[in-house]
Amino acid sequence: MPAWIDAHFISLLNGLAIGSLLFILAVGLSLIFGMMDVLNLAHGVLFLAGAYAAWWLAGASPSWPQFLAAVLVAGAAGALAGSGLSLLVERLARRSHLDQALLTLGLTLIAADALSAAFGDDVHTINPPPGLDGSALIFGKAYPVYRLALIGLGAVLAAAVHLVVERTSIGALIRATVADRHMVASVGVDERRVKLAVFAVGAALAAIAGVLGAPVYGARPGLDGTALLLALVVVVIGGLGSVRGALVGALVIGEIESLGRAVLSNLASFVLFGALALVLVLRPRGLFGAASGARS
Amino acid sequence: MTAQARRRLAWLAALAVLAVAPLVLGTYASATLSRILAFALFAASLDLLVGVTGLPSLGHGAYFGTGAYAAGWVAIHVTRSGPVTLVAAAVAGAVVAAIAGSVAVRARGVFFLMLTLAVGEIVEQIAQSWQSVTGGSDGLYSIPSTELAGISLGDVRWFCWYALGVFAAGMAVLRCIGGAPLGQTLRGIRDNEPRMRALGYRTYHYKLAAFVIAGAIAGVAGGLLAAQQRLVTPADLGFASSVPVLLAVIIGGEATWWGPCLGAAIVVILRDVLGPSLGGHGSLVLGVVFVAVVFLLPGGLARIRIGAGAGPARGTVR
Amino acid sequence: MNHARITRRRLLGAMGATSALALLPACKSRSEGGGGGAAGGGRIKIGLVVPQSGVYATVGNEMKRAWELWLERHGGKLAKLDVTTVVADEGESPQTGVPAIQKLIQSDQVDAIVGIISSAIALGAKDLVADAKKLMIVANAGAAKITAAKSPYIWRTSFTNAQIAAAMGKHLATQAGAGPVYAIAPDYAAGAEVIKGFKDAFEAGGGKLAGEAKPAFGKTQDYQPFLTGIQGSGAKATFCFFAGAEAIAFVKQYAQFGLSAQIPLYGSGFLTEGAAVLAAQGDAAAGIQTTLHYSSELDNPTNKDFVAAWKAKYKDPPAVYAVQMWDAASVLNRALATATALDGDSLAKAMSSVGTIDDSPRGPWSFDGQTPRQKIYLRKVEKRGDAYVNAVVTDLGETAPVY
Repeated sequence: MPAWIDAHFISLLNGLAIGSLLFILAVGLSLIFGMMDVLNLAHGVLFLAGAYAAWWLAGASPSWPQFLAAVLVAGAAGALAGSGLSLLVERLARRSHLDQALLTLGLTLIAADALSAAFGDDVHTINPPPGLDGSALIFGKAYPVYRLALIGLGAVLAAAVHLVVERTSIGALIRATVADRHMVASVGVDERRVKLAVFAVGAALAAIAGVLGAPVYGARPGLDGTALLLALVVVVIGGLGSVRGALVGALVIGEIESLGRAVLSNLASFVLFGALALVLVLRPRGLFGAASGARS
Repeated sequence: MTAQARRRLAWLAALAVLAVAPLVLGTYASATLSRILAFALFAASLDLLVGVTGLPSLGHGAYFGTGAYAAGWVAIHVTRSGPVTLVAAAVAGAVVAAIAGSVAVRARGVFFLMLTLAVGEIVEQIAQSWQSVTGGSDGLYSIPSTELAGISLGDVRWFCWYALGVFAAGMAVLRCIGGAPLGQTLRGIRDNEPRMRALGYRTYHYKLAAFVIAGAIAGVAGGLLAAQQRLVTPADLGFASSVPVLLAVIIGGEATWWGPCLGAAIVVILRDVLGPSLGGHGSLVLGVVFVAVVFLLPGGLARIRIGAGAGPARGTVR
Repeated sequence: MNHARITRRRLLGAMGATSALALLPACKSRSEGGGGGAAGGGRIKIGLVVPQSGVYATVGNEMKRAWELWLERHGGKLAKLDVTTVVADEGESPQTGVPAIQKLIQSDQVDAIVGIISSAIALGAKDLVADAKKLMIVANAGAAKITAAKSPYIWRTSFTNAQIAAAMGKHLATQAGAGPVYAIAPDYAAGAEVIKGFKDAFEAGGGKLAGEAKPAFGKTQDYQPFLTGIQGSGAKATFCFFAGAEAIAFVKQYAQFGLSAQIPLYGSGFLTEGAAVLAAQGDAAAGIQTTLHYSSELDNPTNKDFVAAWKAKYKDPPAVYAVQMWDAASVLNRALATATALDGDSLAKAMSSVGTIDDSPRGPWSFDGQTPRQKIYLRKVEKRGDAYVNAVVTDLGETAPVY
């Protein structure tokens, strides 16, 4: 194997793992933004809530039933929170998009503080469930099995979301709403129901990402800000309202965070936010977002 | 008395009350008042962007923090004279705002919001990495106390009066701009930019001008905070600084004169003064107040009108 | 429609009244601290500054417990003065820590300040405290500049970062076959000093560094990029400094990525310090060697008593943070016994005549330029019973503070 790849392939692999996690987190944000032009600034705190759910239900060393329960509970809580957010944001539908974004910001503050009131202010670490807590040897180098599982899960979820959005009638409805919501309304579909569903599913995915990310990132105050920024970068670079864009964006950002940090160390953060700024200026709709709306 | 004369009298009365305050309040309260004044000037500068020009910025902390670092650096390495540090702060804030603004004001609405967020993060990252100048993640500490024309302002009360002077000067500058033709143009751009362009105004230049002025005044406010805290950290530049100031502007009332100042006072008091007694949950209360204002009082607290309840008589829908 | 008219004037009036009420307690600018002299029947107000949030929260909790245990065993008094403790949360960074200390001095009017874990916060606050002429006993922060200026008000019962790192540097230089060493520590005041202290001592003894790295402090959760860097540098050993939650994450990932089997890990003692930290690290910590001025396994009578008393109340064994805070209380107790008054100048004067501390669990030590001159021990993580502890390998001798 070429020397450069041999030295860096663990970083490349890790980038895929982080990227998979970011995809699960960001795909909801991308669709919400693409469909409603609402910048859901509460997306990060949903991730944090999922992480705390993992710690609360599963503790530091979870068993499989506990871990799965955490995933389910986080998903349900996320869906509930998403529906609530959708309804609240809908009430401001006639005001500017800025007001809707600010509303989500205010709710984030409340939720973040409530979470640290409920779960304390210190940093919690969580182990992966048994069976996934070892390391595998890949071409002679050790790599945690749990992160390999994340890559697999990310691929499965990406395929599932792609199938839903491309091949089902609900997916067609979502794509249509992203492309032209007024037309969808005039055709007779209640676009509010579609929005509610997308918000709920997107929020549920963000919370589930929090549970899945807990063995890597732990649960701590301030994690919501980190998660939100990363999700925003993914969504902007990948494209608004595009699942394919979210996947590509997530993998790119995952690689910047792993390979980028290994090669460039602190410059990686500049690359990250510089790329964000560049894309916002040159092509605000992102790499895969169409000018008027989105494809999958 | 005309409305304008009444307003002027109200301003003078408020300044008079603030001038007497340090004589009555204790040390800690006076120090808090200085922080409120710095933060209020910061919020008022953001209002020039958000309320007057219609540019919602979620990264205004970058210029505030840059000004704070510049003032702190000058105080440590060059001179302790207050006015010199503030001029350095204003210039630093203006320069960074010019660079960022030349790129940012090309975007609109939520994209502008995200771009300012990105800029804020980049500037915070620079502060973390540029250890030799900014001290990295430890921040710039051991900033000496300010001097004004040779007199040391180490005493909390004297510093409070100094802060009041700077605040009054900054607000006066903002009011002048607001009343001048420039202010009218900016409001026009906020209300209907395409029409302004059709009328022949080069809106990009006006927006950039507003961005730079707001950045300069935010820098001055940052310089004031650096002198009060005697410490500047990267957190003064990023999200942790940009969010509370935006909250202050929205809660207090955008495009009003004393709204952002009121909002700033509320944020500082809730977060820093009442925070410990609320079990450290000042942010929770702040969030609740903010959401309530967004839902129920869309123009902010300053817009509550005489008459039946609170009327959201605001500008046109953006 | 006859709603109550919320006029702007009324609203403003209501707000003004509320804020005036809120600020009223701050109006009392009289000095409230410490009535009476040091001799018999007075009160003293101590500000306890510990992190109650962020990556060092568990460390802060232990320090608070140590303070409470000392007071409990001494009737709640320091040298016959009744103690009122005001706890302040230093948080994780100077942005929260320095205002918290400012509040203690200006609003709570404490007589002395004890605590502070983070070097960055101690550096940010030292001018504030010196200007206010209050005694501050730093119970953990190790940055050199904290006491380098020799302000009479700033004392320390802990260590300097370089003191502990240099001990390991000297030791590793004598280990033939240790090979090039990679140094890694978080990017803030303490981390930079540790790397420098280690590097100076190690290279002076003939060693070579394979490389160094400084992950962002408080923000790095995934150490993979740095671990890959260590593997690619050709290092034969790694020297690191992490504490609290970061120590847990680093040690676990060090094992997960296969480095613990190939590249032995050495550290500044905080890496494996604290029962909660060792428990969370589990098997990943086995065999790690560190240097520190304390271990719960130290074999002297004072330590045996201390550990027994601690375990009786808190079940898990104590760590160095508890001992440093314990010594801070003990030192303050000695100073107050000879102090003539409770203002900063008298307390500072009393502190300078404290002499050798011979009843400390870490062994006897004394102040050298307001920072301890003490023994440093080499320790190794081993399993005793069903828990991991830092077994003492050898005594590396007494060292003065290294700046």
